[in-house]
Order: sequence, then structure tokens, then C-alpha cells
Amino acid sequence: MEDSKKPFWRRCETTARDRRNQRRIIVWGLAWMVTWLAAGFLIKFDLIPPGMLAAVAATLVPMVLGIGTVLAYRHFLREADELRRKIEVEALALAVGVGLVGGFTYFLLERAAVVSESGVLVMIMLITFTHAVGVVLGQRRYA
Amino acid sequence: MKNRLKVLRAERDWTQAELAKELDVSRQTVNAIETGKFDPSLPLAFRIARLFQSPIEAIFTPDEEVY
Repeated sequence: MEDSKKPFWRRCETTARDRRNQRRIIVWGLAWMVTWLAAGFLIKFDLIPPGMLAAVAATLVPMVLGIGTVLAYRHFLREADELRRKIEVEALALAVGVGLVGGFTYFLLERAAVVSESGVLVMIMLITFTHAVGVVLGQRRYA
Repeated sequence: MKNRLKVLRAERDWTQAELAKELDVSRQTVNAIETGKFDPSLPLAFRIARLFQSPIEAIFTPDEEVY
């Protein structure tokens, strides 16, 4: 099939180095999410020993793995194929912008008692989703 | 920015994948440069020039002369 007739996702190819670095992010990210969920479960159902020290220890493990994920992502960005880096940076800019506007809007809605839940998780999901959409749009634009 | 990458590659009978491997970039990057969707960084432009043994200005030309 002629290259331009292929769907855009089949025209998106990464280098072996990018794939290796992406796998590293996935491993760190999965470990982070698993420990974060486990810590949340333990705290919610009072399964950790009472006291400040246990609570801090339960939150420290996912935090360290989260920092590891961020460092793995930074490593990926630094070594990434330059077009891929551009796509990632544009997606990050979009996600930060949407996160800021969404965050400030949510704050006002909370003040006006339109929403009652804390918006932290909503914001995290919004930023993550926007970044993913930004990467797909970028891949499509440059494919 | 316009470029002669596709012509130079065709002269050597290379595929986009082969050129990408030589330049240590993805095939998508080569394709995006050839189609004018993406301008390479200066280090990559130098690598391209070295590979084709041509001066950069013989491969890349600005869309319109600014200076």
C-alpha cells in the first residue's frame, strides 16, 4: 500500500531507543499506580498502624515511584527523536494550559457551590487525558 | 523551509527507513521533513548535509528570502 494511503497510526514509527525509553516509563508508571492504589486502599480501610509515621511511610513509597516516573519521562524526552520530542512538548503545553484553565474554573465552581467534590483527581485525569489527545493529534499532524 | 531531501534520497535509491537509520531518527521524522511539515534542528541538518556530502544551503532553502 502506498505510504500516504496508510492510516496515520501505521505511519507513526518510533526509533528503538524511544520504544525502550517508553517501556521504562510504563514500568515506572505502573509501579507508581499500583502502590498509589494500594496506599489509598490501606489508608481508607484503616489497615495501616495508627500514627503519623505509618501514614507518611504509606504515602512515601508511591511518591518515590512517581518521582521515578517523572525522571524516566525526562530521560525519554531528552533522548527522543526530535519530531517525537516536538509532539510531546506541544502535547504537554496543551495539557498544562487545559489544566490551568480547568483548575481555575473548577475552583470558582467549588466556591459557587456548583460542585462539592475536591477537584484534584478530576484535574489529574483531565491533564492526563489532554496530554494523550495532544500526542495523538500531533502524531496525526506530522504523519 | 523547502528541501531536496526526497530528491537526494531517490538519487541514492534509499528508502525513508534506510535514511532514517543512517540519521538515527524515526522514519516519521524523515517523512515529515520531506513533506515540509517539520524543519529539522541544526544538528540534524548538519548530519543530513554530511551524509549527502553537500552544503546545508544546497539541501535546505528558506521559503522566501528574509535578508
